[in-house]
Amino acid sequence: MKAFKLLISPRFAGFKNDITRSKGNRKIKILTLSIAGILLWLILFFLFYRMLIYFSSQELIGDILAKQLLAMVLLMLFSILIFSNIITALSNLYLSHDLELCHSSPATLIELFLSRSFYTVVDSSWMPLVFGLPVLIAYGFVYHAGLNYYLSLFNVFAPLIIIGASLGIMVVMILVRFLPAQRAGNIVMFLSLFLIIMLYLLFRFLRPERLVNPDAFIGVAQYLAALKTPDSPYLPSHWATSLLWANLIKDQTSQIFNHLLLWSTTFAMVIIDIWLAEYIYFEGFSRSVEAKRRSYPGKNILDKVVSAVTKPLAPDANSIIAKEIRTFFRDNTQWSQLLFLAALMAVYLYNFSVLPLEKSPIKSIYLQNALSFLNIGMAGFVISALSVRFVFPAVSSEGKAFWIILSSPLSLRRFLWCKYFAYLIPMLIVAEILIIYSNYLLKVTPFMMVLSSITIFFMVFGIVALGVGLGAVYPNFQHENIAKIATGFGGFIYMVASSVFIAIIVMLEAGPVYAILSAHFKGETVSLLQWVWIGSSFIVVILLNIFTVKKPMSLGLKAITDYEG
Amino acid sequence: MIKFENLTKIYHGLRAVDNINLMVPQGTVFGLIGPNGAGKTTTIKMMVGVLRPTMGNIFINGMEISREPTKIKKIIGFIPDRPFLYEKLSGLEFLKFKAGLYGVSRNGIDARISNLLDIFELSDWENELIESYSHGMKQRLIIAAAIMHDPKVIVVDEPMVGLDPKGAKLVKKIFVDRAGKGATVFMSTHTLSLAQEICERIAIVNNGRILACGTYEDLKRQAGTEESLESIFLKLTGGDEACEGI
Repeated sequence: MKAFKLLISPRFAGFKNDITRSKGNRKIKILTLSIAGILLWLILFFLFYRMLIYFSSQELIGDILAKQLLAMVLLMLFSILIFSNIITALSNLYLSHDLELCHSSPATLIELFLSRSFYTVVDSSWMPLVFGLPVLIAYGFVYHAGLNYYLSLFNVFAPLIIIGASLGIMVVMILVRFLPAQRAGNIVMFLSLFLIIMLYLLFRFLRPERLVNPDAFIGVAQYLAALKTPDSPYLPSHWATSLLWANLIKDQTSQIFNHLLLWSTTFAMVIIDIWLAEYIYFEGFSRSVEAKRRSYPGKNILDKVVSAVTKPLAPDANSIIAKEIRTFFRDNTQWSQLLFLAALMAVYLYNFSVLPLEKSPIKSIYLQNALSFLNIGMAGFVISALSVRFVFPAVSSEGKAFWIILSSPLSLRRFLWCKYFAYLIPMLIVAEILIIYSNYLLKVTPFMMVLSSITIFFMVFGIVALGVGLGAVYPNFQHENIAKIATGFGGFIYMVASSVFIAIIVMLEAGPVYAILSAHFKGETVSLLQWVWIGSSFIVVILLNIFTVKKPMSLGLKAITDYEG
Repeated sequence: MIKFENLTKIYHGLRAVDNINLMVPQGTVFGLIGPNGAGKTTTIKMMVGVLRPTMGNIFINGMEISREPTKIKKIIGFIPDRPFLYEKLSGLEFLKFKAGLYGVSRNGIDARISNLLDIFELSDWENELIESYSHGMKQRLIIAAAIMHDPKVIVVDEPMVGLDPKGAKLVKKIFVDRAGKGATVFMSTHTLSLAQEICERIAIVNNGRILACGTYEDLKRQAGTEESLESIFLKLTGGDEACEGI
């Protein structure tokens, strides 16, 4: 096992160097991300704590709800573990750049396989630890659990993580046995994305908010039926739920059977994986190294789209924007995220369609307009969420080929503005669809319809400029996966800046809009002083928009001008 | 013509390029040779506008890079040592992209691209994505893209990396032919035989400084030896001592 230890040592050494040798900005980044992580952890903890306290106050159904929620959380964690392991296993076992070096070393195939499986487990296990632990600790607090419960968390997490990883690795090895690793990767990514979106849509369309309102159901039987989660006694998450629940409610029944089920499955899965690896791992790896011609479907359609979009542009802008469109639609990690966009928009609009406006004690005409106003802010946040994924990585997407731009006669200013306009137009279209359709569902007054359409229109100019500009301030040209750029420190800063920008705009407009609407509904006229105030607020909004377009772009330009690799 | 005046680049306190003064006449194939970390790539990156000098100036065809970067970049064809490209474009699309970027007239561009693809034996692959190209094919594509706009100055960092003998021969011919037509070729290389074969003038650099510069005959005189370029190089850069320990 000496080779195994050596093969996993670079990961530890790299991690250690990252921590100990980080300087200035990097240290600040690590600190900020750690604080954000702790905050997220605390938010999750308090959210579940409050929810469980609420459940425990409900006689009869409180414990049923809490147990069902626990089963749901563990099932979800287990499913996410399998999916994330499939993706990381593909990369660690077949696609990583250092694999050729490792395979050419005198380490045995099994040592190599185990070291890469270890990487896979480490890469995937942070998620249940980050998102699962606060939930389970909240359970412990609410149920006043003893030490046994907290010790049993290890007993649950360790086997769940290893079983999830083993299943993920197994699926990948079998897939790559029949398909080239790259193509298998695309299929897996697409399927997992599709499944996650389906789960998300299903969860939303089931309207889980009704569960806390039993009055909405006709009978007890119907309510209890709605509470049922998809579960099976053959699932490891089911054994884990039984084990944890017994510890929570201090049930004296022996849980040895569930223990044995969890750990024996864990060992069995590891043995099966090793056995499978002996037969099919190297063959799959060897196939993944072979060069393949990579043609692309839909070339004619894409060519027509590119030609139509770029025709009126100057040759240099035409080149940049054509390249941007082509690379976007040929990169599966990029275009597949459009599915997320569609799901996000569908749920956003669905939420408006199921708003029980008629049940509100406030007059619905007021509520509709107030919601429409809030909708400006919420739509802004949706656009920011999309931008952090698509616009913020725009400069980094040049990757290691950025030398082509730097050494070309295209000025960096023009390059940055080309990027800006390439993303501005689609974002404007998305924003206007969101705001106009949601306002239509809310049946708002024409005044609010016009105001929110115009506000969001100009807000998008700022949101996109923040994305392109801050993306240039925090570039990552060495990335291997463009989707990860949004999750870094720069993406975090962008989300904060963008949220502040949206919040200020909404606050600046809130007072004037209230004055106009209330005068309208009361049949009064707006006074001259109020008009001055309204005018000043809108002028400040315009100035803020201009500032938010200019400042990030100039900061971004300075950053890439000074960029030295 | 290329001229360096007190060219200096300091990275985190380290002088990667240290006060270099150099003149390369028009129509010359010029070679910059030196051990790893000598400052060759840094010098080249400053010439093509990828890095900014800490001190000193670079003049290309009478224009100063810090004052007129766009005009200078328009007349330079740059071939880097590592072929990082837009992997999701096809070879043909990449050449069209570069043509647009360098403002090459659309008249006759298709014929020009087709000709270059033929010369570099990439015609069969023109519609394949670059991600499926081998290292050598990517290098050939970069060279085709670099000469597409008929540059007056060709700047090359390690031209032969990844090329097969046929490709290497083609590239040597292109450089010599271009220089014969008045273009200046500035290349950095580790391949001393290549420098000896095609460079009219050579500079040997180490630790960011020029140790010797001139024709092969000049270098022999400066090193005080009648031996090969390899011996001159090892003598000036101290590489001989390293070999003794083996």
